[in-house]
Amino acid sequence: MNVFTRGIRNAFRNGIRTLSIVAILGLSIGLSLTMLVANKAVGNKIATVKSSIGNTISIAPAGVQGFEGGGNPLTQASVDTLKSLAHVSSISESINDRLTSSGDSSNTNLVSSIDAGSLGQRFGREGGFGGGFGGGASGSTAGQAQTFTIPVTATGVSDTSQYAGSAVKLTSGSQIDGTADKPVALIGKDLATKNNLTVGSTFTAYGSAITVSGIFDTGTSFSNNAVIFSLPTLQRLSSQVGDITSATATVDSISNMDSVTAAVKSKLGSTADVTSSKDQAANAIAPLDSVKTISVFSLVGAVVAGAVIILLTMVMVVRERKREIGVTKAIGGSNLSIISQFMVEALTLTILGAVVGLVIGVIGGQPVTKLLVSNSTTSATTTATPGQRGSFGGGSGFGGGQSTGGGGITRRGGFGGALGRNSAVKGISNIKTQVGPGILLDGFGAAIFIALVGSALAAGMIAKVRPSEVMRAE
Amino acid sequence: MIEVKHLVKTFKSGDTNVDATNNISFKVPDGQFASIIGRSGSGKSTLLSLLGALDKPTSGSIVIGGQDLTKLSDHELITYRCKAIGFVFQGYNLVPNLTALENVMLPMEFAKVSRAERKTRASELLEQVGLKDDKQLRKPGRLSGGEQQRVAIARALANKPKLILADEPTGNLDSATGKMIFDLLHKLSRSENTTIIVVTHDLAIAGKTDATFKLDDGKLVSK
Ligand SMILES: Nc1ncnc2c1ncn2[C@@H]1O[C@H](COP(=O)(O)OP(=O)(O)OP(=O)(O)O)[C@@H](O)[C@H]1O
Ligand SMILES: [Mg+2]
Repeated sequence: MNVFTRGIRNAFRNGIRTLSIVAILGLSIGLSLTMLVANKAVGNKIATVKSSIGNTISIAPAGVQGFEGGGNPLTQASVDTLKSLAHVSSISESINDRLTSSGDSSNTNLVSSIDAGSLGQRFGREGGFGGGFGGGASGSTAGQAQTFTIPVTATGVSDTSQYAGSAVKLTSGSQIDGTADKPVALIGKDLATKNNLTVGSTFTAYGSAITVSGIFDTGTSFSNNAVIFSLPTLQRLSSQVGDITSATATVDSISNMDSVTAAVKSKLGSTADVTSSKDQAANAIAPLDSVKTISVFSLVGAVVAGAVIILLTMVMVVRERKREIGVTKAIGGSNLSIISQFMVEALTLTILGAVVGLVIGVIGGQPVTKLLVSNSTTSATTTATPGQRGSFGGGSGFGGGQSTGGGGITRRGGFGGALGRNSAVKGISNIKTQVGPGILLDGFGAAIFIALVGSALAAGMIAKVRPSEVMRAE
Repeated sequence: MIEVKHLVKTFKSGDTNVDATNNISFKVPDGQFASIIGRSGSGKSTLLSLLGALDKPTSGSIVIGGQDLTKLSDHELITYRCKAIGFVFQGYNLVPNLTALENVMLPMEFAKVSRAERKTRASELLEQVGLKDDKQLRKPGRLSGGEQQRVAIARALANKPKLILADEPTGNLDSATGKMIFDLLHKLSRSENTTIIVVTHDLAIAGKTDATFKLDDGKLVSK
């Protein structure tokens, strides 16, 4: 028998009480751990989002997002002036157009690899595409649903290593030079399969024969239904020489992002929408930050609750055993040994509570984190369905009733911008929680902290018990 | 030799001061069996707790074996209680969660006696007071009052103290059992040459002791 064994044994002196205290403590420690798990998971996610913040600034014609909105394209000349800005390390420019093999505006022999499906058909009907065509063709077909085919996206980029916000991975063939005007192109994997194209094959676009230089895979079926030209090639082929529908400025360091964004804005004025990747990330992180704050408050709350539980328990126990404490002092026990014994008792209870809490934390960590995150980020996330990205033909959609009539280039572009934005935000709610040995240590650390704080008041009371109390009758 | 001089203990209760012991002086030679008698509230327990260093006197001195208790530090008082004094209380005051054996081992643990030695000595002491075998392994709740008081006596003897203080040790027991407990204390004080001071209401018991001190209202009225 010593201080330790006595303390441990005393923890089990009253079975029902021990059980209820361990259960309540287990809940509070479990909640603390759950919050710790959530906090760490969210913290990791924020770090990942922050570290993945590109040092890029997207520039799109004012009023354009995806294929929606209006406005006029930017001129290559005005975008080129950005190259001279301090801290801008490079500018990549792009132009967009669509290749379609059906209808009057047919300009290619490429067949889209994406079936319109019900979504596409609906976008087609609701948008100007079906309506405009139907109306234009003949009165009898007006209003009748017409089969809608998804066009193939054609993009001319000055930097052909990047497309739609991600790196272009070639599955075969070789890269093309984004600044040279040559009749070559990179085509998406799905498009190649659909049209039986391999490296070296040719296809027709805008009446010219184009040779496939390489085949790429971006991982999404929408992007894999695309053709990448060099910027001057597509500008010439689609009669948009001198126009830019989106540009991305790369800044030399994250710390210069704000100043460069401001400089770009003042340079381009109201003709362009300028968005820095930093702002996008900040928007994406905001709901995570609030989850993090909530988890910190809950964590502190749960630890404090645990400490209060053990504090009240120990105060109760000391009051109950006042006489026993007095006797122990009378027969030569020091304050130190008696207090240590009670601390061991408190520790035993909290460690048992921690074991229960650990089980709760391991089981509850992931679902609670998911719940917290999904509740606060639903407004900030989007789910991509293949073939639907970029609100194709939606609402005021493709053609808008006048686009084929030649109302200028009203809505080409904004692609890079829109997709880039999406990828910065996507997967925010896809958070992984981890319960490693760290959590175990934290749990027992919390238990020891709770036990020490909780028994501090009891220790004070023990020190005050006068041994002469035992002389008083019970 | 125990030498008590002008011992005063004043308790403050509200505005009034109660002199629980009022200028008490007496001597008890080593190995003597002394008794303290007096009415309820006369200060017997107070005097005992001062002798046992459970409380500090307001004034006066207590010299035991040449050492003045009133001059000891708090830490020294703990050691003194542990090694020099054995207590027996009216209400037994055993630790309910420990077995009889463990109760007797406890003061030896505080005195830093080795574990093996604690166990052998505790077992021997319990046999001396008449508790054998499985009874040594019972917790107090499963022992009779007389048996519990025997355990308390064994515990008081654990560290071979020079002085045993007993506050109405037979108060909760029937007269036959009380007499047995008293005889046990008497026998032990003879064999171990331990000084014993016992508080009692039982004049028959007091009459058998070497010396009797009578208290009345905090004052020593006869020796
Ligand atoms: N802690 C205390 N605070 C205040 N007064 C006290 C305290 N302890 C004892 N007294 C008072 O001191 C006086 C002596 O008490 P004490 O317990 O020594 O009497 P006693 O002779 O042991 O009586 P009994 O035979 O009933 O046990 C009493 O008047 C009591 O009220
Ligand atoms: Mg008394």
